[in-house]
Amino acid sequence: MTTASTKPVKKPRSGGYWARLGKNLIRDKWLYLLLLPGLVFFFIFKYIPMYDLRIAFMDYNPFDPSKSQWVGFQQFTDLFTKPAFLKVFKNTIVISLWKMVIGFPIPIILALLMNEMRSIKFKKVSQTLLYLPYFISWVIMGGLIMNFLDPSTGIITAIIKAFTGQDMQVLTSKSAFVPMLVISDVYKGMGWGTIIYFAALSGVDPQLYEAASIDGAKRFKQLLHITIPAIMPTVIIMLILNCNNILNAGFDQIFMLYSAPVYDVADIIDTYVYRIGIKQTNYSFSTAAGMFKSVIALILIVSVNFAAKKSGNEGIW
Amino acid sequence: MAKAIDAMEFPAKKNKIKTSTGEKIFTVFNYAFFTLLCLLMLYPFWHVLMQSLSSMEEALKGGVFLYPKGFNLDTYVSVFKNPQIYSGFGTTIFATVVGSVLGTLVTAMTAYPLSKTRLRGGKIIMVLVLFTMIFNAGMIPNYLLIRNLGLYDNRWALVLPMLVSAYNCIIMKSFFLSIPESLEESARIDGANDMRIFFSIILPLSKATIATILLFNAVMYWNDYFSTVLYIQATDKWSLQAVLRNMLTNTQQAMQAAGVNVRAQSNTNAVTIKAASIVVATVPILVVYPFVQKYFVKGVMIGGVKG
Repeated sequence: MTTASTKPVKKPRSGGYWARLGKNLIRDKWLYLLLLPGLVFFFIFKYIPMYDLRIAFMDYNPFDPSKSQWVGFQQFTDLFTKPAFLKVFKNTIVISLWKMVIGFPIPIILALLMNEMRSIKFKKVSQTLLYLPYFISWVIMGGLIMNFLDPSTGIITAIIKAFTGQDMQVLTSKSAFVPMLVISDVYKGMGWGTIIYFAALSGVDPQLYEAASIDGAKRFKQLLHITIPAIMPTVIIMLILNCNNILNAGFDQIFMLYSAPVYDVADIIDTYVYRIGIKQTNYSFSTAAGMFKSVIALILIVSVNFAAKKSGNEGIW
Repeated sequence: MAKAIDAMEFPAKKNKIKTSTGEKIFTVFNYAFFTLLCLLMLYPFWHVLMQSLSSMEEALKGGVFLYPKGFNLDTYVSVFKNPQIYSGFGTTIFATVVGSVLGTLVTAMTAYPLSKTRLRGGKIIMVLVLFTMIFNAGMIPNYLLIRNLGLYDNRWALVLPMLVSAYNCIIMKSFFLSIPESLEESARIDGANDMRIFFSIILPLSKATIATILLFNAVMYWNDYFSTVLYIQATDKWSLQAVLRNMLTNTQQAMQAAGVNVRAQSNTNAVTIKAASIVVATVPILVVYPFVQKYFVKGVMIGGVKG
């Protein structure tokens, strides 16, 4: 090292750069080796599929891919002129907006209410129970829903009948299916949704509350002026993350529960892609539909993150 | 200041005990509300459990099941006669164990080098990893990939595509950043290389974070059913969730799979068979959940701290 630096620099700068690079690569060879399996994974399972998005611009021939024709944006123009796609696009947005409008504030309210509880034991037990449905698969949840909504033996069917006198078959009813999706989604996720707010609440300095109560602030005032400001940054980050999900209306849930009678209201982009792509092997068209979804999601998250940062809040990167 | 000094005259404790009637009503309401909510979380599971233990006639009458009506275990006998339940457990346990262990290991191995600022190209790699979090190619390209890799109808197709997630890499990386550099330096002086440092110093220090990621991965693999729908045709390789889904959405299938002859006088029917299948698939989770719940909570607390 020292002898090299005392010599006059003869080689151009880039040579020095390459030499240093080589030295660094050798020094960190074990780190690169550690990195290798992960890189291979991301390359094969994330980036090759991205490269394969090119079939959205082709008329892909699954039996002989080399015979596929490039068609430019043909699949996308087809997409936007197809009433079926416009309908699933609308359904996707309607379902996820409802889930967001109902499902976003409930965990915040629950966390705030739970935060007011003094009994640690009660709090612990109820948290454990409230988190539980989050860890149950949609297959099992779907089974429970089908059980409770069974036309002849379901409890909820019986309750609906007692109140309205109607034999409501929720799972095949166009008017009741989407509310069922929203309610069951909120049920499954609301408990777990509180946890991120608890993380924020645990960071609040208890002295703030003491000082406030000495100043004569009642619990409600404390909530308004200490607790809520403390969780605001978390609320905003969660809102950003939710925006990214606006086109994810809940594939696992809907795919488990929907059936032909409710396709009109419950068919979303993902289920549509599955039926057109996998079942009807129309690969190019369904890839275009899926890609449309991914691109919109990307644009949304980048712009919402940008807006959040612009307005002085913390973004997600 | 003056206010604070004034307050000193009143003992703070007295202040806390003295609550207004409004606050008392609120407290009562609050506890009642959460008690109700907890019951609401538990009852569905209790209901199917009791229903599955009831006789066919009672199950067909419907209504509330707080205890088994006409207790019998016939339903479970037929559910456990179904060979798909065993193969389903086999596949799911394989995918869960292999996927979560391998996935967590590769996640840590990826995150560790990326936590070193000296690593050449580390930033670019990090951006490429993060990009996969906000953009994905979607169902069809992934399906074609599995076909092209020759993994169709192979249990590894349930494991490999979900092995590592960018999100877990970030959590892991921010944890590694919190480990003091000095530990590594002293090991290096003792002659250990980066590989050794990682496996014998860093990994043992990261047990809690690793446990968390391992558990989240395990839940993801255990609950996954769509990978089976997409990638596996042979029913004997289906995951448990896929087997269950098939039984729940297809009554005929449920009866046949359980070997129930519809004409024969048997104390089972679709309602109880479905209920019992739900119970069989849920019990493993309910047994493990209370013991591991705290790790999930910890995981979110770590994840909440941005890396």
